[in-house]
Amino acid sequence: MRPVVVAGVGMIPFERRDEDSLVDMLAMAGWNAMEDAQLGDRSIDAVYVGNMASGLFNHQESVASALVDRLGLMPAAAERIENGPASGGSAVKNGFLGVASGFYDIVLVVGGEKMREVIGPKATDVVACMTHPQAEYIYGVTLPALAGMFTRLYMEKYGVTHEHLAMVAIKNQENGLLNPYAHIQMKITMEGILTHPQAHINSPIVADPLRLYDCCPVSDGAAAILITTEEIAQKLKRPIVTIAGVGQATDTHTLQERSDPTDLRAVRISSQQAFKMAGLKPKDIHVAELHDAFTILEIAESEHVGFFSKGKGAKALADGETRIDGKLPINPSGGLKARGHPVGATGVAQIVELVWQLRGEAGERQVKDASNGFSLNFGGFGNNVLAFVLRREA
Amino acid sequence: MKTITAYKCKDCGHVMYPHHYRCLNCNGLDFKEISPTTKGRLLTYTIVDQLPWGIDERGRVLGVVEFDNGVKALGVIKTAKPRIGMRLKVGWQPVRVISGEKVYGLTFRKTK
Ligand SMILES: [Zn+2]
Repeated sequence: MRPVVVAGVGMIPFERRDEDSLVDMLAMAGWNAMEDAQLGDRSIDAVYVGNMASGLFNHQESVASALVDRLGLMPAAAERIENGPASGGSAVKNGFLGVASGFYDIVLVVGGEKMREVIGPKATDVVACMTHPQAEYIYGVTLPALAGMFTRLYMEKYGVTHEHLAMVAIKNQENGLLNPYAHIQMKITMEGILTHPQAHINSPIVADPLRLYDCCPVSDGAAAILITTEEIAQKLKRPIVTIAGVGQATDTHTLQERSDPTDLRAVRISSQQAFKMAGLKPKDIHVAELHDAFTILEIAESEHVGFFSKGKGAKALADGETRIDGKLPINPSGGLKARGHPVGATGVAQIVELVWQLRGEAGERQVKDASNGFSLNFGGFGNNVLAFVLRREA
Repeated sequence: MKTITAYKCKDCGHVMYPHHYRCLNCNGLDFKEISPTTKGRLLTYTIVDQLPWGIDERGRVLGVVEFDNGVKALGVIKTAKPRIGMRLKVGWQPVRVISGEKVYGLTFRKTK
């Protein structure tokens, strides 16, 4: 396999974007990545678009073909990659394989979703369409409901408390204030979302024990990376950040069929694969972007990835180890919690953040001396997970 | 009473719901169709205040139940004060309307 370099990255701010269509957003993010790479008039061989549900959200399909047309990249190959909330990560993986295999030299990967075109309960329903049709969907199960059932077990088994969950939200929204691309730009306090007698008005129950501030917002947005070979990257004169490790693993569709439902098996396996390929260990990572669609996930994933041992993630969080100035900063971007989670965009946006961090271009939220980064994109409720290790080359 | 169909592997005895082509435990291919028993135990639950489009209620309790014969399934828990480990008795009732049709599924009530 050839080494694969992320030569350009681009995003648009995640927010409610009534004025832009999905393809508008994909094109803006894609163009930003092409400009960042200083690609000039070089042609792009292939375009992969990570998107979960343009049909249900936006009544539009074949968005990859629409995107190459909008950007004027024909006759580049193009396809949309759908893998639920891990669509972005899957698009990155497919782009990676294209370059690593030698089949393509320059690939554009764009992830995006326009969710706010439908009202909240409809967006909840669209996302719930990834659950098992007979064993889950008919009961009105939502992703927050699956996360709620998981949270209850995790709290009971590992002593995670409501305070720990709130600490994730508070930390990530603080980080989001330093990220101009983040949807949620608001400082919150433990008192305001949890301990004040009226906190339940600010943060009502969504799926008990999860409250509003335990859940990521519903956002519109897109993110893109331009990937290529080392040889071409050197000509482009941008700092060299390689995709050093890639992992992907699946688990049962339904939560109930997992022998230990608190074990995120696909997170463990995909992370191990990515570390093995990169020749690195969790302790070698300087900055991580985890998939905190729900606050509990940041804690549980930080353990399953191997950063902390099982049951110790909450303590590391409470000790400040995962803050931007801590031993292992997690979600300096604000994570899904603050940056937002336009589902297909997330896996790509995580890579964009890591590249900024590893290049030293992350501004106020810059993690000091970061040269190895890790990202985890969690699809379904942990039934399809992608992990990446990125490395800044000297 | 109508209920779900679960599958017991003829090679290793592993019980599965929903259906898979290969046994998740031993890759076996032969299954016996079984019904869940009438009673079980609540493994975990959530109280959902924000339900998806088309379900006009608040506070629906959803939970995973392990039946006495090992079948595990999600259902609507019809008790106001759920707790992990509580004994439940199964029912079969409308749980959602999809495209104008009532869809039936597992419901559970408190029992001894
Ligand atoms: Zn078997």
